[in-house]
This record gives sequence, structure tokens and C-alpha cells, in this order.
Amino acid sequence: MRIATANETYLADAALIQTRTQWAWMGVLTVALVAAPFVLNSYWLYLACLVAINVASATGLNILTGYTGLVSLGQGAFMAVGAYTVAWLDRNLGAPFLVNLFAGGLMAAAVGVFVGLPSLRVKGLYLAIATIGASLILHFVFLNWSSVTGGSRGMNVAPATFLGTPLTTYFQLYWVLVPVAALMVLGAANLFRTRIGRAFIAIRDRDISAEVLGIPLLRYKLLSFAISSFYAGVAGGLWAYFFRSVGPESFTLVESIFYLAAVIVGGMGSILGGIIGAAFMTLVPEILRFGVEAIAPYVNNAGTLLSPVRTVVFGALIILFLVFEPQGLAEIVQRIRRFFHLWPFRR
Amino acid sequence: MTKRTFMVLAASTALIAAAPAFAQDGEEIVLGGSLPLTGVFGFAGVAIEAGIQDYLKILNEDGGINGRKVRLAYEDTGYQVDQSVAVFNKLTSQNQNLHLYYGDSTAFSRTINPELERRGDILMAGASFATEINDPENFAPQFIAGPDYTEMYSILLEYIAKEKPGAKLVFVNSDSEFGRDPIESSTALAKELGLEVVEQIITPPGAVDVSTEVLKLRRSRPDYAIFHGYILAPLPEFMTQAKQLGLETKFMGTFWSMDSSIWDSVGEVADGFMGVMPYRYYYDEEEAPMLKRIREMRPTYQATGYMQGFLTAMLMGEAVKRTLDAGQELTAKNMKAALNTIEDFDTGGIIGVPISIPGNTVPVGRIYQYDASAKQMQPVSDWISLKE
Repeated sequence: MRIATANETYLADAALIQTRTQWAWMGVLTVALVAAPFVLNSYWLYLACLVAINVASATGLNILTGYTGLVSLGQGAFMAVGAYTVAWLDRNLGAPFLVNLFAGGLMAAAVGVFVGLPSLRVKGLYLAIATIGASLILHFVFLNWSSVTGGSRGMNVAPATFLGTPLTTYFQLYWVLVPVAALMVLGAANLFRTRIGRAFIAIRDRDISAEVLGIPLLRYKLLSFAISSFYAGVAGGLWAYFFRSVGPESFTLVESIFYLAAVIVGGMGSILGGIIGAAFMTLVPEILRFGVEAIAPYVNNAGTLLSPVRTVVFGALIILFLVFEPQGLAEIVQRIRRFFHLWPFRR
Repeated sequence: MTKRTFMVLAASTALIAAAPAFAQDGEEIVLGGSLPLTGVFGFAGVAIEAGIQDYLKILNEDGGINGRKVRLAYEDTGYQVDQSVAVFNKLTSQNQNLHLYYGDSTAFSRTINPELERRGDILMAGASFATEINDPENFAPQFIAGPDYTEMYSILLEYIAKEKPGAKLVFVNSDSEFGRDPIESSTALAKELGLEVVEQIITPPGAVDVSTEVLKLRRSRPDYAIFHGYILAPLPEFMTQAKQLGLETKFMGTFWSMDSSIWDSVGEVADGFMGVMPYRYYYDEEEAPMLKRIREMRPTYQATGYMQGFLTAMLMGEAVKRTLDAGQELTAKNMKAALNTIEDFDTGGIIGVPISIPGNTVPVGRIYQYDASAKQMQPVSDWISLKE
């Protein structure tokens, strides 16, 4: 338990941000996010935008897997549904990008509910396989429903426009991607202060007990799938506006594994975990890139090491976190917080 | 102000104004590259890199382009689109004067196209021969240093129509974007040429068990089976089983399955495999000064990817040279326009005929056939130019 955080009201106890230190850090984060585009070059801005998209999707998966306990390997496919919806609406209706994004989320949510139907009967590994099955079916649809999806060539997406200005540079896109991702994270954090979020946690901890307590399992499991898929759909829509090209090979099973890995490495069932997990998993390959650059003068063909090393590191990170830090990076952050909170005293 | 002060001020102002121009004269030009040095296309990426580096070496030894050296800055992508895009962003952020780019896949070419259009200062080509890139309007900053996949099929079909009019064909394509590319257009073209496509087979890219598909082949008994979207597997398996069944089908492929080194290990079964090749092979004996120079630089066999990389760099260099000679800025529009002025261009024998680039491709190719005893591809047709 943290010290010096005595709350006198239920409202204070349930507040999202409880201490002045937390407010200060939030201020620092906000300033950093606002200042970033003016400081970073286009490569780092590209990565910052990519992190924002991945944070949105990983947070969605965290709601389903981390908070409701339903394993899913379909996050990539749900993102694809959002991306294709955005691309189709943009091409055929030319609606504003925020409307398209919302529609992409809703479409993904609808598909997510359908895919989530088996979740009442199966869970764990069986549910994971069921979601893989759904991903394969969706991939087949993307590839063969050519009149809507463009078949194997996919679809191009026109740039999102805001007040008549097309958002084409990473600087411009940053101002859309980061606020949308931040709002989605804020929404997820608030979700677990509501009855619905509590029900999700109850289902995760013991679904039979939750049902005994009066939580209708099917309704809440499907709701969790819907919300998670909505997040994936919006993230997929952001992805479509970011890369401006959607194809059947854009979202593979590896993408879904990436998001699950991000949630595991970051910390399941923790909003902070989803954020730092997605950021960490996105940036590790880039940090390796600089590592390879540093050893290039001493090792022949160092460039060819990057890809295999990246794959090995990706796999090793998942294994190491599962074995040594199952609570993920979020737990490490909590430990550091506790240390400074107690300092100079030791436990 | 005295006259002397005025003269000093005027001279220094002129010097400051001219400084960027002087500086630009000596500045190197950077060719960026998202290269697939590992992964399924690793063999091609390594060869492509060698080809580009060798051409740039020749170019720079000869004084560069109007005195400006050209340097290749590249990184491995593992044939992953997200990595290719990351490498593009990194290289364009780190290198000034990056005006040329080599991409590694169709998906990357498509994904990066809006960014190329927005920047307007990069001319790009790459390892993809996708039909959709052959669109000067929508892929204005890009080109293909060879025929696109549909054009490769056209060259094959023209050859077949001449060799065996009314022949029965089977198309075998991998279940990937790469594999599906020319199916629709080529089926229509076959019909136009009086050829009959009797079966259409689609398999996973690296399929091993193809017995069901071979049975389809047996039922339709085609004169030719054209494979596309594969590097090697499952072609040897198809050919082995077809031979065991006594089929006399001739097997054909497109560029990426035409490297003779990949067929070396297949052995006798590979004998007679045919396909379309836009460039000469390393060991071709016909007069080709550039091939001779390549053989002097590298005494051992260089794969077809090498020739592709070499010619891509050569055409890019030519586009830059023509742009600078015209006193224009190195914008994508100017460089592409300069590229399109290339007419009856001598590649030094990399391609056996003078080439022109009226649009986004070099629509020329030749049919080669594998000779298993010599472990070489031998030409069986003359150069076929589609724009004649």
C-alpha cells in the first residue's frame, strides 16, 4: 500500500489521478507530447505516430485479454476490418476522417461480437485458436471480395483532411494520431472505474463466481470483444490514414502476436502496461538498428544480422518477461515508484 | 559609403549568394535502399546490393555524374513492409541529397508512393515488377528496370503463340499478391493470341505437397505450364511428378524463378525449364562490354538480381545525368521526365538490344532455357520487344 494517499471520500478513492506527483508527471508527459513534433526529426516522428497507433490497439487488446481474461489472436484482423472500412468509406462516400474512423471502429466491433460468440463455450487456448480461425476467414474475405476490398492489390487511401488541409506529413499526422490514442487510453482507464469494467475484471478473476454475483457472462464477454475490437478498428483506421494503403498482407497473424506480446511485455491488466508495452515493442527493433549501425565497422555484413537478431530478440523478450517478470514493465515501473515513495527508507 | 566599401559589400554578397551553388556542385547524391538481405528474398537482396554497388563504383571511378559522386545508403528489411518504411524514414532523415531509392516489394512500393509524391524529390525503382506500378499517372515517381509481370507473361505468350499456335496452357500462381498479379490480364491476352488457358491453379507460396495440383495438370495435359509468384518451390516437385506421370508439358517461369544458381541443386529434373529474362546472364557469350567489365570485377557467377540492381542503378544514374545536363533541379518530376527521354539506349549488353523507356517499364525480354548438364540458362529466342 502506498503511504500518504489517505482518501476521505469514495470519489477521491476512485479518482483516476490521486496524488500531486501524478498530476505533475501528467503535466510533464503532456508538455513532452506537445513539444515532441517540434523537436523530433521525421524518422522519430514516424516512430512516435506508429507508437500511438500501436498503443491504441494494444490498449484495446488489454481490455479483452488483460482485464476480461479472454485470449485473442485476432487483433490484427480487427484492425484490418477498421482499415478497410475507412478506405472504402473514404473512397466511396468521402466522409470526414473522424466519421470514417468511428465507422471503422463500429464495423470492427460488430465483427468482434461475432467472433466473440464462441467465448461463452470456450476459453484460453481454444478461444485463441477460434480467433485465429476468424482471422483466416477475414483474410480470405479481404483477398477475394475484390469489388469491395480491391482483392490482392488492396486499396489506396486519400490523405485525411482537417479544415481543408490534407494531413500528409508525419508532423501533421502526429496531431491526429496522438490525441486520438490519448483519448482512447483515457477512455479505457475510465472504463475500469465503471460497473462494466468491474464486471470484466470479475469475469477474468473467476467467471463462475461472476455469474453467481449476477453478471450475465455472454453479454459482458461480447461487450468486451466489442470494445476491444472497436479499439482495434479505430487503430486500423489510423493505420490506413498513416500508411495510406491497405492490402490483405498488411495485417497478418504476426501483427496479432505482436499486440499480444506488447500486452504481455507491458503488463496484462494494466493501462500503463499496454502503453509502455506497445511503445517498447515498437522501439526495440529501432534501437537494435542503431546497435547494428554501431558494430558495423567491426563486423562484416552487420546489416544482414539485423533481421534475424530482431526476430530472436522479439521471441526472447516474450519468454524472459513470462518467466522473470510476468507482470511486465508496468510492475517494474510500480517498483520504481514505490522505491522513490519510500526513499530514503527501505522496506 | 565609399566606392571601395560598396565593391567589398557587393563582392561578399555575390559570394554568399553563390555559395550554395558551389557547395551543391561537389555534393554527393545518395541512393537509398530498403533491401531484403535476409528472409525469402535474401538471396536476391544480396545480389541486388552487389549490382548497385558495382555500378556506382564504375560510375564514381569515371568521375561520377557531372562531378558528383553517388553513394548507396541501405539497410536490411527482411522483406517486411513495416521495416522497409522505417528504413525509408530513417535514411531520408539522415541523408541529405537522397534523390534515388530502391524498394524491396510491391507492398512497399504502394505504401511509400504517397510519401514519394508528397516529397517530390525522389525517383524510385525496386525489386517489384508489379503490373500496378506500370502506371505513369498513379506511380509517377517510380519505374521498373524491366518489363512488369503482365509484360513478362506477354513475352512468354508471344513466344508460345509462335512456337505452338493454339497451345493449351495452365497458369500456376502462388496465393500471394506477387503471384496473383498477372492472372487476369494474361488470361485475356492468351485468348487474344489464340491460346487456350485450360486450368488455373493457385497454391500457397512455398507449397511442398502438390500432388492434388499435379493431378489437375494430368487431367488437362497442357502444352505449357506457366508458374509465377515463386522463387523455386514447388516447381521442382511439379516437374518431378509430371515427368513420372509421362506428361510432356513444358514448364515456364518469370524473372524471380529464372536465376540459374537456384536450379543447380535441382539436378536433371530442371533440364528444359524455360522462362522470361529481361537481362543477359553473367556467363552469356555474346558481345557485351559491361558484362565483360562485371566479370573482371567479380570472377564468379552473379545472380540475376545482380543484373537487375546494376541496370536499375544505371538507369537512375542516366536520369540524374540528363536532369543535371538540362540544368534542372533533381525533382522526381524532372528525373522521371529525363528517364522517359531514354531512347535506343545502349546498356553495354546488360540487355541485348537498345532500350527505350516510354512509360514506367522497359518492355523487353528474352526466353531462356535451363541446360542441366552445363548448369546454365541458354537463350532460345531473340529479344522480344513489346512496344514494337
